[in-house]
Amino acid sequence: MKIFTCIKYVPDTSEAEIKLNPEGTEVDSSRFSFDINDADNYAVEESVLIKEKYGGNVTVVSIGPKESDVMIRMAMAKGCDNAIRIEDERIASHDPLMVARVLAGAIKDQEFDLVLTGCMANDYGQATTGVALAEILGVPHAAYVKKVEIEDGKVKAYRELEGGLMEVVEINLPAVLTIQTGINEPRYAPIRGIRQAQKKELKVVNLDDLGIAEGDVNAEASQITLEKLYIPVVESKAEIIEGEPEEKAEKLASILVKGGLV
Amino acid sequence: MRGMKMTTENQTFAEKFDLLGCIQCGRCTGGCPVTVRTNLNVRRFVYDAYNEDLLDELSRMAEIWDCTGCHTCAVRCPKGLKPLEVLIGLRSLVVESGKTQPTVRDALESTFMEGNPWEKPRATRGDWMEGLDVKIAQPDQSVENLFFVCCTIAYDPRVKIVAQNMVRLLEKAGVDYAFLGEDESCCGSEVFTLGEDGLFEMIVEDNTELLNEYQAKRIVALSPHCFTTFKTHYPDLNKPVLHYTQLLAELLEQEKLVFKNGLAKKIVFHDPCYLGKQSGVFDEPRRLLKAIEGVELVEFNRARERSLCCEGGGGKMWVESESKIERLAETRIKDARALEADIVAVACPFCVLTLEDAVKALGYEEEMRVAEIMELLGELDGAQDKSNSA
Repeated sequence: MKIFTCIKYVPDTSEAEIKLNPEGTEVDSSRFSFDINDADNYAVEESVLIKEKYGGNVTVVSIGPKESDVMIRMAMAKGCDNAIRIEDERIASHDPLMVARVLAGAIKDQEFDLVLTGCMANDYGQATTGVALAEILGVPHAAYVKKVEIEDGKVKAYRELEGGLMEVVEINLPAVLTIQTGINEPRYAPIRGIRQAQKKELKVVNLDDLGIAEGDVNAEASQITLEKLYIPVVESKAEIIEGEPEEKAEKLASILVKGGLV
Repeated sequence: MRGMKMTTENQTFAEKFDLLGCIQCGRCTGGCPVTVRTNLNVRRFVYDAYNEDLLDELSRMAEIWDCTGCHTCAVRCPKGLKPLEVLIGLRSLVVESGKTQPTVRDALESTFMEGNPWEKPRATRGDWMEGLDVKIAQPDQSVENLFFVCCTIAYDPRVKIVAQNMVRLLEKAGVDYAFLGEDESCCGSEVFTLGEDGLFEMIVEDNTELLNEYQAKRIVALSPHCFTTFKTHYPDLNKPVLHYTQLLAELLEQEKLVFKNGLAKKIVFHDPCYLGKQSGVFDEPRRLLKAIEGVELVEFNRARERSLCCEGGGGKMWVESESKIERLAETRIKDARALEADIVAVACPFCVLTLEDAVKALGYEEEMRVAEIMELLGELDGAQDKSNSA
């Protein structure tokens, strides 16, 4: 089983106040911590579990800066075998289609049975990269996968749908699966393992190395222009009703009546 | 794991923890505070761990995560062994296999990536200083007291007041001090007890290099966990380490510290395990409390070396015991209630958090409160430099 697992280095926006640059085109990420995208972490674990069960090889693919090497080494400490990191400022990385083209460029000339991605990224939340990647690679896909079973050149993918429904699809390999969080419990990468993973191959390449034409993946090629980012204006607020239970009930009732809700 | 010989740095498990030194007297288990609420029997682990074939099985037993790292077993061991470290060694086998509980995994990853176990960004470590004019240490400037804040005090909104009040007090008392600011990184106390040897080694190396760079006469730690970890596990640190209560007791003796107002309260002091039984600092916090006018200082029956652990250490902040039996912190708070104490004073951020939870769980919020000593000192309208106030 030859697997490619695509991962992304993203900021954790939950622990620091979000600030924008004056032009409103970028988030100031100086106070954020960065780590592997949540769903991608589950994709890494799933790829290692598949490898442990069926044998094979897992290659990590990521587009990102040098700082993201630590995330890649952690994935390799968990059991991935080698990695390709694509670093090139010319890539229009806000556009999932451009990102998918670059990832496809790194994968397409190699043999593969499975490509795993996270189902969605914590930063832009487009949830389209994996699906676009399948289209470009010309292979079937299943998105939001919560369980994987592989048999006879086919993969049975359990897809999580709205309302708690589970859809089971059987697709031929090779295929792309976008992995939903909760499919497994990602393991810990101990520091000794991370140190040992320094010996594994991590290839750093750019668009030219991959033979990708800049004009296919840069801002001009992208049909998405990032117009503006802004912090939503607070338009409503929660009111905490204080007082004894009877007073509270009276206040609440009067609010509901005034608002025409009862 | 998986059948290979359990050796650590070319030593067998039995050699590393001197398991043959154990005479199975049972003083460890007899004194272990968590035995009243969990199945942990540390003597049994010390005995069984001699058999290398059993290590894998032992490492999968839930009880190894019940140890709070309080060191009662080590204090009581007549052979000078540290039975708790056998449990930590077993935890290491789990951590090295990668199959840790998610909460432990996240705390360790955060310590590796961001220098704190609380999953907070490194860049916000100094946010507690907002609104204060804090002197930040520079490697080329000599300073007498270099402060080490602790991850929990730096990030936890409940206990950051310990550092904030310390700055106010130092300024008023005219003490030569500096803080590390955002360069500070976790001391590794909880990483050690959670069994992540590799990460702990890396932390000790990095912190020793960082701290040795500063021209400071001594390091003053705000948390007993950092204090004891530096003293016990940092052999190459080139300066002595104090707990803040030691510094303040010294200032008190030199009459550089006087408290403007009194506090007419009955206070019981809870000895933090990492300050008391692990580092022998018992008197300084009591001296500080006694120096406050109006304070009636009372003692727990289980005080000093026999102090009852609050279950905040040993990585327990990230591992919940399955036991439904009363938490030790609740037992402690009930003891304080029986003494009719108004305040349970502590000198450790973890003790504040665990004991305060217990006060809330027991519904004693009206009757009593838990306070860090620095919190109380801050409430006395600060400490004053005698030369200014005279």
